[in-house]
Amino acid sequence: MGHRPVIAFVLLGFLMAGTRARAADDPPTGEQIYTRLCANCHGATGQGTNETQNHPLIGDKSIGQLTKLIEKTMPEDNVGSCVGDDAASVAAFIHESFYSPTARARNEVARVELARLTVSQYRNAVADLIGHFRQPQGPGVRIGLRGQYTRVEEKERHRVIDRTDPVIDFDFGEGSPAAEAISPEEFSIQWQGSVFAPETGDYEFVVKTKNGMRLWVNDNRTPLIDADVRSGVDPEYRASRFLLGGRTYPLRLEMRKSKNAKEKTAAITLGWKIPGGIQEVIPQRYLSPVHGGETFVVATPFPPDDRSVGYERGTNVSKAWEQATTSAALEIASFVANRVDRLAGTSADAPDRAERIKAFCGRLAEQAFRRPLTHEETALYVTRQFEKPGDLLAAVKRVVVLVMKSAHFLYLDIEGRHDDGFAVASRLSFGLWDSLPDNQLMEAAKAGRLATRDDVRREAERMLADPRARAKLREFLIQWLHAEGSPEISKDSKKFPEFSREIAADLRTSLELALNEIALSQSADLRQLFLADLFFVNGRLAKFYGFELPEGAPFQVVRPPAGSRWPGLVSHPYLMAMLAYSGASSPIHRGVFLYRNVLGRSLRPPPVAVAPLAPELEPHLTTRERVSLQTSPETCQTCHGQINPLGFSLETYDAVGRFRATENDRAIDASGFYVDRVGARHEFASTTALVEYLAQSEEVHQAFTEQLFHHLVKQPVAAFGTGLPAWLQTRLIEQNFHIQKLLVDIMVSTALRSESQTRAPSVSDLRH
Amino acid sequence: MALHVSRRTFLKDLGLGSAALPFLLNLSSLSHANPGNPKQRLIIVFSPNGVVPPAFWPDEVGSDFKLKRSLAPLEPFRSRTMILNGVADKVRGDGDNHMRGIGCLLTGIELFPGNIQGGSHTPAGWSSGHSIDQEIKNFLQSQPESRTRFGSLEYGVMVPERADTWTRMVYAGPNKPISPIDDPYQMFSKLYGRVKDRESLQSILDDVQEDLRKVEQVVGAADRRLIEEHATFVREMEQELKTSASADVGHPVPELEPGLKHENDQMPKLTRTQIDLLVQSLVADFTRVATFQFTNSVGQAKMRWIGVDQNHHELSHEPDSNEEAQEQLTKINLWFCEQLAYLAQRLADTPEPGGEGSMLDHTLIVWTNELGKGNSHTLDDIPFVLVGGAPGFKMGQSLKFPQVPHNRLLLSLAHSMGHHLDRFGNVDYCGDGPLSLG
Repeated sequence: MGHRPVIAFVLLGFLMAGTRARAADDPPTGEQIYTRLCANCHGATGQGTNETQNHPLIGDKSIGQLTKLIEKTMPEDNVGSCVGDDAASVAAFIHESFYSPTARARNEVARVELARLTVSQYRNAVADLIGHFRQPQGPGVRIGLRGQYTRVEEKERHRVIDRTDPVIDFDFGEGSPAAEAISPEEFSIQWQGSVFAPETGDYEFVVKTKNGMRLWVNDNRTPLIDADVRSGVDPEYRASRFLLGGRTYPLRLEMRKSKNAKEKTAAITLGWKIPGGIQEVIPQRYLSPVHGGETFVVATPFPPDDRSVGYERGTNVSKAWEQATTSAALEIASFVANRVDRLAGTSADAPDRAERIKAFCGRLAEQAFRRPLTHEETALYVTRQFEKPGDLLAAVKRVVVLVMKSAHFLYLDIEGRHDDGFAVASRLSFGLWDSLPDNQLMEAAKAGRLATRDDVRREAERMLADPRARAKLREFLIQWLHAEGSPEISKDSKKFPEFSREIAADLRTSLELALNEIALSQSADLRQLFLADLFFVNGRLAKFYGFELPEGAPFQVVRPPAGSRWPGLVSHPYLMAMLAYSGASSPIHRGVFLYRNVLGRSLRPPPVAVAPLAPELEPHLTTRERVSLQTSPETCQTCHGQINPLGFSLETYDAVGRFRATENDRAIDASGFYVDRVGARHEFASTTALVEYLAQSEEVHQAFTEQLFHHLVKQPVAAFGTGLPAWLQTRLIEQNFHIQKLLVDIMVSTALRSESQTRAPSVSDLRH
Repeated sequence: MALHVSRRTFLKDLGLGSAALPFLLNLSSLSHANPGNPKQRLIIVFSPNGVVPPAFWPDEVGSDFKLKRSLAPLEPFRSRTMILNGVADKVRGDGDNHMRGIGCLLTGIELFPGNIQGGSHTPAGWSSGHSIDQEIKNFLQSQPESRTRFGSLEYGVMVPERADTWTRMVYAGPNKPISPIDDPYQMFSKLYGRVKDRESLQSILDDVQEDLRKVEQVVGAADRRLIEEHATFVREMEQELKTSASADVGHPVPELEPGLKHENDQMPKLTRTQIDLLVQSLVADFTRVATFQFTNSVGQAKMRWIGVDQNHHELSHEPDSNEEAQEQLTKINLWFCEQLAYLAQRLADTPEPGGEGSMLDHTLIVWTNELGKGNSHTLDDIPFVLVGGAPGFKMGQSLKFPQVPHNRLLLSLAHSMGHHLDRFGNVDYCGDGPLSLG
């Protein structure tokens, strides 16, 4: 190591030069010290160098421990030259930049990581796996339930009316449902069809009646509620069922009015409470008269997925998850074993029963693994299980548990390098549906028709029409608006005495209707999320927000009161009320939402945690003035100078999202501005100017695209090549900001993975 | 003799061959009193959003202290209670105070960077270290005489259905949060279920492992770790299947009230049910370490049953000058304290299985919180209220410390369980080692 002193001499020279160049009271930064004293042996980023054969500088010592270590041992050729504050600041630099586990996590390069199914993917895949062997679910137009009314006379039953009832909310009193055809004394009614579940969760069904009643939901054999025999006077029945969102479930309701002298009247209401919602009569838009097959829904609870990177993904496993997959596998196994004859298309006394069941087990594994089985696989997952001791059903259970515990079912893209049509089919179906490929995809894969971008585009376009694709898109838009989990909105009852839980629930419905209207329309134009005047109101909302509608009016878009406007979704009263305190609007929450979610910007931390100034303390100020006052210090302005002016542009909406021209008898100032990433300043005189800016902002389009990408693919966009965001951007513009076409393009650019990973989209792709 | 026959029959019913018998009968939960080595247990109870200091902290220091209103339910246990004021969570770094409050509470180490954004500060992810209860669990599980079926159990009440920094307190390791189980039915089936499914599972375990081994060879090197980790859990399941035959629980399998739901207004019932299950699991020696998490950091419970309609977190932001809010917050913490007292009472009423005194004598309950005070979001004066008994802990006193780092208290907890650690979490906060609480 004869050359070392020379290096030290040179370094010393640097050190002196550096010191002279700086002000005397300005100590060297940790980075500067590192560059001078350490980088030569340890490498510029602590990676080590070939020459010195140093190991990478990584570990889990604390800054304090590193400081002591440096003081005692470093630099090797001049121990003692880096001590005290110098050692501490270089230790802090090393720790923060590349040494600590947190720093290493920060520096990791994006790649496509092996991922297991997310909880939602798992549940949907199981539902479709079992569904593959059962009667398909008919979609049906959602216009209500089929009602069949039966006259009962002298024990003779005659079906006299067959019609569609939009909702089930009847009070016949002592009369008849149809005086000309049915005697009021004794009759029965059966409603059947399907119920659509908008999101995943527990649905509580509530039936109110004093007559005999039974209700079946997603189980055509065992009633969810059985009150056919009346005992007691309880007029209300409740029971819950866990349902997956975006699917329809068979439903049947029977009521019976008897001749019993004490049962003079007849009335019935079918209501529900959806996850996060309030109790209501099931609205027409969730009911269809088509009675389809059941859907198997796994009841085993799973630990929620990791969302620490902003979207759900399955790149880690935990013990709780592993245990849940075991419990669920057992649950599925007993479900399948209990009805294996029907699923396998055989019967208990069929001579070829064993063969058929074995064949069914093979098809189940093939469906679950999303590809044909090899001979060895058939031997392991099927044949071997039938050779073990025990009866036929024990063998079926073993196959199901094993298949459901297999990595081929639980993980996506397990095939690694071999990138065939089956892998593409899986990426498409999990990307757009969070579920298994359907028959058409599997057929296309088998026939080699999933090899080109055109193939992928064709299938993706077909798949968009499926309710599962719509459910996934809806889920995304709700997340984009930060409204997932239906946050409960409660307001100051003194300031807003008329704001009720019902209003909050109606607002939620109103938001969903507007989302549907935009995302599922012909043009599906992203810009309309900002521009469209689509505030749906019913009678209750109309009264609260000053529209003219009769009290019981259903949801519709009507002309807003003079002078007011709620453009797009960012000014929708649900959002405005959510992004507000219970008594006052919050320009900061609104600004942060626009800045972060909509514009995709990141924010630096506030230097101090501050509780908001209470309006009561500064009663003479407007909200705008109060927020400006509180965030006026220089240290706050770095961020609030960006956040507040965005939020101020929504000051025309109060804490419940009502349009206002004044606050505290002073005119509302809704002017604001935004400084974009390249430093250009955009001024807004009003909310309208704000939304017009957002609608055409490239930053908004990019943020939307990136978030949608992550929601579909569940892998970092950066892992698919640097050219991808720009290509998607170009396509978005070419397709007139069509949201659904954007989904297709995301699939086109990711489903053929080996191709997209090795090269950025070419010019010919751009022309597509 | 009769005892042996019935036990053998029982094990046969579990579907286990006689080969497993000698092993099972050596398990501590199946053997009788072991007076030379008394059991010691630790229960950590979490409630969120800070406390109202004047209604919480005793004015006095020492053994002659009065309990303030929020702590009044502990009056019957005053001589077995220790209140520690002036213990601070000094851990800084990424995340807001609520996130670090819960994420560093039992880990004593910084959060990883992430993009979970709180109300202020930088975004953060999960904790970069494991929690003290898991450290103690690993220690106890490493020794045959203290090994139990689960090692630790994580109970919850009304924990929101989402995994983020605010909802997780217990960590198996860096980036490895453990979800508390807040569904009593799920906890029940974890404790007592699966007896019949064991056979199916055992018969396919080798095949599951073969499946994973094959897949491990196919995936890239960078992803192999995930599959390896998965395979570890499968091996652990194999172990647990063998030992869980000790579901010879030593008491009748409890019956749960049907129809309990994950609903705000059911919180009192859920709490009782979970506490009862917790006590049962300790009686059966399923575990000696447990955590009990009420809601989450920033918890939004609406305690309508005690006349508080507004949600807990929103209330906790109200200034000190809002006397009505402070009164309601005092009542909220009083309610949490009542649940703590119920747990203590259940343990006090249960004789120590195979030992001396009551179970409470051999159990230390630690009630804590992610914040000192809700409206200031301070991490100073983190509430730590200890009830029960532990070696080296002098109960029946109120102590005040000069904002010592809470890592030192975590060390004391480990020592009380016989695990003589001298550092845990961020070493820089471990200073002079465990706090002396004798």
